This record gives sequence, C-alpha cells and structure tokens, in this order.
Amino acid sequence: MATTNDKEFRVKLETLSVSQQRQVAALFVQRVLGLSNDVRIKAALDMAMRADISDAELAVVSQAANTARVESYAQCGRDSDWNTQAGLFVAKAAVSCVRPDVEGQNLAWDAAMQVRVARTCEAASGDVTDHKEAEAQYAILDDFLSK
Amino acid sequence: MSASLEKGVRVLKEVIDAPIASYFSSCVHCGLCAEACLFYTETGDPKYTPIHKLEPMRRLYEQEYTVLGRLKKLIGLSKAVTDAELDEWRELVYNSCTLCGRCSVVCPVGNDIVYMVRKFREGMSASGNAPEGIKGAANRTITIGSPMGVKLPAVKAQMRHVEADYGLPIPMDVEGAEYLVMLSSMEIMNFPEYLGAIAKIMNQAGKSWTLCSTAFEATNAGMQIGNSDLARVIVSRIVEAAEKLKVKTVISPECGHAYTALRLEGANLMGRSFGFKVRHIIEVLGEFQEQGLLKTEGFETDRLTFHDPCQLARRGGVIKQQRGLMNMVAKNFVEMPDAGFMNWCCGGGGGASAIEEGEELRMEAFKKKKSQFDAVKPDRVVTACANCRIVMEEGLEHYKMNLPVVGLTEMIADHIPNPVVAKPEGS
Repeated sequence: MATTNDKEFRVKLETLSVSQQRQVAALFVQRVLGLSNDVRIKAALDMAMRADISDAELAVVSQAANTARVESYAQCGRDSDWNTQAGLFVAKAAVSCVRPDVEGQNLAWDAAMQVRVARTCEAASGDVTDHKEAEAQYAILDDFLSK
Repeated sequence: MSASLEKGVRVLKEVIDAPIASYFSSCVHCGLCAEACLFYTETGDPKYTPIHKLEPMRRLYEQEYTVLGRLKKLIGLSKAVTDAELDEWRELVYNSCTLCGRCSVVCPVGNDIVYMVRKFREGMSASGNAPEGIKGAANRTITIGSPMGVKLPAVKAQMRHVEADYGLPIPMDVEGAEYLVMLSSMEIMNFPEYLGAIAKIMNQAGKSWTLCSTAFEATNAGMQIGNSDLARVIVSRIVEAAEKLKVKTVISPECGHAYTALRLEGANLMGRSFGFKVRHIIEVLGEFQEQGLLKTEGFETDRLTFHDPCQLARRGGVIKQQRGLMNMVAKNFVEMPDAGFMNWCCGGGGGASAIEEGEELRMEAFKKKKSQFDAVKPDRVVTACANCRIVMEEGLEHYKMNLPVVGLTEMIADHIPNPVVAKPEGS
C-alpha cells in the first residue's frame, strides 16, 4: 500500500534494518545534494548506500560529515543567507545517514526531516519552489520497499 | 583628535558614573580577576587581566575626575587616550571578553568589572572602534530587525516546517495568549527544532502561547556592541509587542544576552516597569515541572553533563531549574568542576563569536572548557544557549573530541509523549 502520510512513513522506516535505513536515508539526501557543495557530504552518502560498509569506514565518513556539519553553522551575529543555510541541514541529514551506534534509532526519519528543513531554507532564500518533499520521500520509500 | 575619537572620549566621560568611579578607586590590584578569566588562564598573557582591559578608561577617569590625575595630565605625566590606543584595545574589550561575569564575582572589593567593560564598549562603539563583525550585526538589527538578517518570511517558512513535522500549530499574533515566545536568530537558522519543542511542551502543559510578527527576535546586538540606545530600541520592540498582545509572560529564548537585556536590564533601559513578567525558557520549564505540568517518559542512560550559560546562571542566578530538568530525564547526570554559578564560559559570549579575527584566541580559551569535560568524561553535553552550543561544537571539533552537544529544551520535549492535541487555556 502506498505511503500517504508521515505516520505511516515513520512506521515503515522503523521496520527497516540499520543498513537499509542508511540506504534509503541516502536516497532522501541525494535529492537535496545540490544545496551543498561539500565533497565530504557526497562521500558520506556514497558510503551510506553500500550495504557492506564496515564500522571503521563508517567512523571515518561519520567524522568527516560531522566536521562539515559543524563548519556549516551560521554563527551568532554573522550575516547569513538561506541558500548557504540549506547546506547545514543537508550536512545534518548526511550525518544521520552515517551515524554509528544507532540501534533503536530511526536515522532515516531524522535524515528525512533534515532534508525537509533544507528545502525550507531554500524556500526562505526566495527560491520558492514547492518540491513536495514529503511526497517525494514517500515515493522513494515505497520504491525501495518494492525491490 | 579625530571627530570619532572626540565622540568616543565624550561618551566615555559621560558613562563614567558613581559606581565606575568607586570601582576604579577601590581596586586593590590583587589580580584575582586574572585567575577568573579564561582568556588569561589559558594564554598566561597578563594583557588579558580583566581590570587591565579597562586601562584607557581608567586613565580617562583619573585625568578627568581626580585631582592627582588632572595634575599629572597638566604636567604631561599622563598621556591622552588616542585613536591608536583604542584600536589596540579592541581585542581586549571585545575579542577577549565574553561579558561572562566571572571576574566581577571574584573581586574582593566588589567591583563589577563586566559593568565597566560594557561602559567602555559604549565609548569604543561611539569612536568607531567596535569590531566589524559586531558592527555588522548591529547594523542589521537596525535595518532588518535581526543581527543575522532573519526576516519574517523566513520565520514563517520555519513555522510551516515545524507545524508539519510536529503536527502542532505554531500560533502567531494571538492576542491574550499567556506566553509570548521570543526566538534568537541562531535558533531560527540553526535549530528550528527548538520551536517544535516549545510547541510540544506548551501543548502538554495546556498553555496558550504565541509568536509575534513584529517582534520575534530577542538577540540584543546593542548589549554586545555597547550601544544602550540600540539595546533600548530592541527591548522596546518586544515590550510593545507584549503589551499589544496583552500577554502575561515573555519567554526569553536560549540566548544569554537576550535574557540579560530583557529580564535583568530591560526595565532600566526603558525607564519604566513592565506589565508582564520576563522569564527564560528554562525558568518556565522549571515552573511547569514544579506545577506538575511536565510529564516526561523514559530516561537518557548515557553520561550527561550540563554547561551553564553565563548570563543565565551567573548573571541571572538560574541554577537549580536546569538541574531539576536534567534529573527528570537523565539517569547518569554528572556535574563538571565549577559547574553552576562559577561555570567557565564557552568563550563565545558577549558578541565574541561574531568576531572572525578572534577565532584563534577563542580556540585557545576553549581549553578551559575542554579541561572541564576531560574531568568528567561525559558522553554528551547539554546546554541552554544556542550560541554556547555552536561555540562548544566548534571547540570540540577543533580539539577532535567526539562529544555531541544538545539543547535542554529539545531534550525535555523528546521525552514528552507525542501530542494528544489539548485545548490551550482560554481558547
């Protein structure tokens, strides 16, 4: 049955294994990758897509993605623009994809939410386009589950 | 003497009031304030001794308001304050002072050194010697209403996201609501989940609340740069909004200087008392906890510690509330050495984090915070200030410490069961 709302979306994501969550989360983030120009984010997503990622590899990309996230913060009192700010939330979403020690956590849901904030930032910048991100995420999940 | 220096010196003369005169004349040069300042303890450089940061103002005080000083000036034994000197002092008055207040509370003769630094900043600002980063923030506050240039459409975009994410309404411009919730740009831009956490908490507590379209920003760049006129304008926007909406309480966000400006100095800046209360979000959560309005589920089981924001704990005296809240949701809460009233600053308060050229020094000073963490080896750090949060994350990243930092309000909200939408009081 097709996913039509966040409640179903969340429940379906919770049923996935950690590896599957990483993969589907990476698919969510890929939709907004254009809002970040950080190569560390792309590397994290490439790793998250792999079902055979080792703990050591995960630790390395997680650290790099986290550094990218911290470097993306808008600092107090600094002039910021929302396009740049979207990059922070893409980084936050990527960190969720490769977060180690996540048993019992819904990392794919976390990534999906951060992706939506990235879209919100894009909208706030004036590039107001309705991406229907939630619906796109439902479709990605349904497609992933059907394979 | 340049026109800007003349203006700065005139402002400095004006701000030297009775307390400042008594502080200068009663300083016993004991050096205790040095040991209380993280910029001194972590660099060992005596120029970062807090009372030394005020030297040009001290000399001006002496030259203008003491007989001996006048005499020394007359015979050339005391030199005049110059543009070059104020330019040199910028680093000491802004980059290396977060207005954390630790120096003030250790002074054996009761000198409020932070008060003096803030007055000195008035002169520095008037003479054009404030750092560019803080000047930019102040200019954006005047022209846009936010130090980071956040405009209402952006706030509304975040509101829509949070409403969809949390399934709860984010009210705006609701007359008669009990609480007016203020935000900082930092929360709007970096931590929109703070707004969702507020919605969830207010919903569970059954309280009515609102944002205001004409005053959503609480950060007070006027306090940071040293411009009481600007500080007054920012506070007056909030006061007008609160009075227009007839709220009972204004909630200051997780932002230190917003709290100080509104709660501790707002009435003096405005020259009148307010018809509403001002509370920090942590004080409100503490009240809700006491009244049994917060019902949390489950516990964090990892080792957590709490970083007290200086303005909240030391200047505001809010210390027990956050501990009550931590113990409500954490099984393994440990205190760092010096936690609470004497906690060490993150190193980025008072506008310091807006000064790019001060970053290297800030990282040096962060060693003090690192030593506090090293002493208790937590798994995560909890705090109640968006700026502390980012400054600590940067410091931890710099020192390659894998230590996540989280916000207390969000952590409490995470332990509140998902919404059963209740009717707010009075709706």
